[in-house]
Amino acid sequence: MKKILTIISMLLVVLSLTACAPKEEEQVVITFKQNKPEIDEALQAYAAAYEEATGVKVNVVSCGGGSCVLGDMLKADYAAGEMPDIFPIDGPDSYKQWEAIVADLSAEKWVDDTSVEYVVDGKVVGFPVAVEGWGMAYNADLLAKAGIDPTTLNNYQAYVDAFAKLDGMKAELGIDSVVSMTAGPGMYWVTAHHNFNSLLSNGVPYGDLSVANKFLAGDIDETRLTEYANWVNLLFTYADKTVLTTGNYDSQVGAFLNQKAVFLHQGNWVDGNLTEATFDMAFAPHGSTTAVTDGIFVSAPAWYVVNKDSKNYQAALDFLNNMVYTELGQKYMVEDAGMIPAFGNIKLQPKGKLSQSVQSWTAEGKVYSWNQYLFAGEFRDNVLGPIYDQLAQGAVSVDEFVELFKTALTDNAK
Amino acid sequence: MSKFINTFKKMGNDSLNQDKRNQKFIFWLFLFPSLFSFAMVQIIPFAIGIYYSFTNWSATAQFSIDFVGLKNYFDAFQDPAFLYATIITSVYTILNIMLVNVIAFSLALLVTSQLKGRNIYRAGFFLPNIIGGIILGYIWQFIFNYFVPRIATMAGFTYLAENLMLGNSNTAILAMVIVSTWQSAGYIMMIYVAALQNVPRDLIEAAQIDGANAWQRFRNITIPMVSQAFTVTLFLTLVNSFKQFDVNVSLTNGGPSTMFMGKAIKGTTLLAMNISDTSTISLNTAQAQAKAIIFFLVLVTFSLIQVYVSKKREVEL
Repeated sequence: MKKILTIISMLLVVLSLTACAPKEEEQVVITFKQNKPEIDEALQAYAAAYEEATGVKVNVVSCGGGSCVLGDMLKADYAAGEMPDIFPIDGPDSYKQWEAIVADLSAEKWVDDTSVEYVVDGKVVGFPVAVEGWGMAYNADLLAKAGIDPTTLNNYQAYVDAFAKLDGMKAELGIDSVVSMTAGPGMYWVTAHHNFNSLLSNGVPYGDLSVANKFLAGDIDETRLTEYANWVNLLFTYADKTVLTTGNYDSQVGAFLNQKAVFLHQGNWVDGNLTEATFDMAFAPHGSTTAVTDGIFVSAPAWYVVNKDSKNYQAALDFLNNMVYTELGQKYMVEDAGMIPAFGNIKLQPKGKLSQSVQSWTAEGKVYSWNQYLFAGEFRDNVLGPIYDQLAQGAVSVDEFVELFKTALTDNAK
Repeated sequence: MSKFINTFKKMGNDSLNQDKRNQKFIFWLFLFPSLFSFAMVQIIPFAIGIYYSFTNWSATAQFSIDFVGLKNYFDAFQDPAFLYATIITSVYTILNIMLVNVIAFSLALLVTSQLKGRNIYRAGFFLPNIIGGIILGYIWQFIFNYFVPRIATMAGFTYLAENLMLGNSNTAILAMVIVSTWQSAGYIMMIYVAALQNVPRDLIEAAQIDGANAWQRFRNITIPMVSQAFTVTLFLTLVNSFKQFDVNVSLTNGGPSTMFMGKAIKGTTLLAMNISDTSTISLNTAQAQAKAIIFFLVLVTFSLIQVYVSKKREVEL
């Protein structure tokens, strides 16, 4: 009896092991991992429609936001030998991680239809996910009520005057603070990634890296840095202290949505959170310099790269092409996912008001680059982020902030 | 295979021997599944981890993995954030061990007394332990950021309303201690309850007849009799506070920043989170691995000392 039991249990173990073995697949299956959870639903629907149309199954996995770190997932996939066929990179840091398996896409048709592809040593390797932009998002209704013309908001002094005026009308406008800004833990990307770019790119012609490269080399333009520090301080001074020091994305965007703040320091990706907004809004340029800077920061936030070792290489390329050149793909990108297309051939327009504002700034050619990625993520998150946080807490003065920044940039150049 | 059959034949010659061998076989058979999984998910990865900590391994598609000797270890010790994390983790651990144990023991005394409805209290105090640390962190974030200031304003304590607990790294550490005490005190309480119930009534009665007062009975009988529980609870709280990660991430996210050695750094990043940051933000996987090994050694040393010291205090009946 004992023996029989033993044999049965052993058989069960063996059976359960073999049951896990994958069955032979004849269908082509592309694995597509991406890091924007907000577009997951639209992407899944598109993938299903794509399978119906072409017979190629696209297995979409979204990993991002607060709960999932795509970088870690990719490492695990790589270790398991299950690297996805298409996955995103967001700049030099992540490019370097996967450089050994990233395919050269220079020969693809869509390269001619975009201006924001990811290029390394003259080779196109990244397919732009979308175009995104940020500036100072403003509530046009409240500004009109306060008698401020948003087109004048394009330099430091204009913002100083406007903020002071709005601050004096708090009760009248029903606001808690003028600006909805965050600098606390977990929100360092707002300060050390996005705001930091004002120092590097505001007022600098698109694609011109001279200012950024100087800071990168530790050659510090003190005037520019001091003017920038004043701008940061201005934003922090007129922000709600709770949201500024301990707030998260929801509380920051929520304050703007509920008309508790006139300005929001975020980009057009907040459109998805502002669908219930009843007021009119658009972007104004940053006022990080005393000189007029008439433009907002626009670029592709991430690029899809194709795994060159993939056995579905061609299928992956076809899928990306489908996204750009078919009605199905275009509808997904613009209407369902609400993204601004990075390709000139697409004529659809996103519904979000801030996305439309980004498009109109782009159409006028009033755009500045994103150069913050020239600095390592570690430098921005672990070195610069805490410095902004110190200023937000009121633990350091503007002068000390400038000194800390100088030391940090000099050390970084070493 | 033939060797196997031969063994069986031999075993047939000696039935007593066969029984023993059979038993041994069954013994290993039953042990195999857990031993196998333990080796697969603990022992082997640990060994690989030690190897990686001496290389420039990046866990990504790199061209080659090179041996770099002790470089990762030296770099780890020169990283101010890691030094700060070590200090702040020790502070947090000490505060946490004290607060959790004092509160858990008091609660245990409370629910083993003649209190009415003590079973309800037991369940109630234990309940927070069932909630996951991540969710708990977010709930308490809301309490510290919105509830406390509002109550404080209503009660007239404007200081509390203007100085948010999570807005400064010193108070944020305290906030973490409060949350983790709230979470784990109930669990530790249950261990104390079990121990308190095992204190022999006759000893207490004898002391009572001899004229010992309540404090003397508590000090000289109850405490020594539950010292075995102290070994366990101190070990659990020590290890759990040292390894704190989920509440750290969700409640303070490692911030707010503070000044340390002339640099602004994240003020509440405990060791476990510093290690994870080294891997996910600094993208320095091998150094994170080296830090994890250091972390392991420190933790093992501290817990061995703690268990050794506590064991000496235990009383055997």
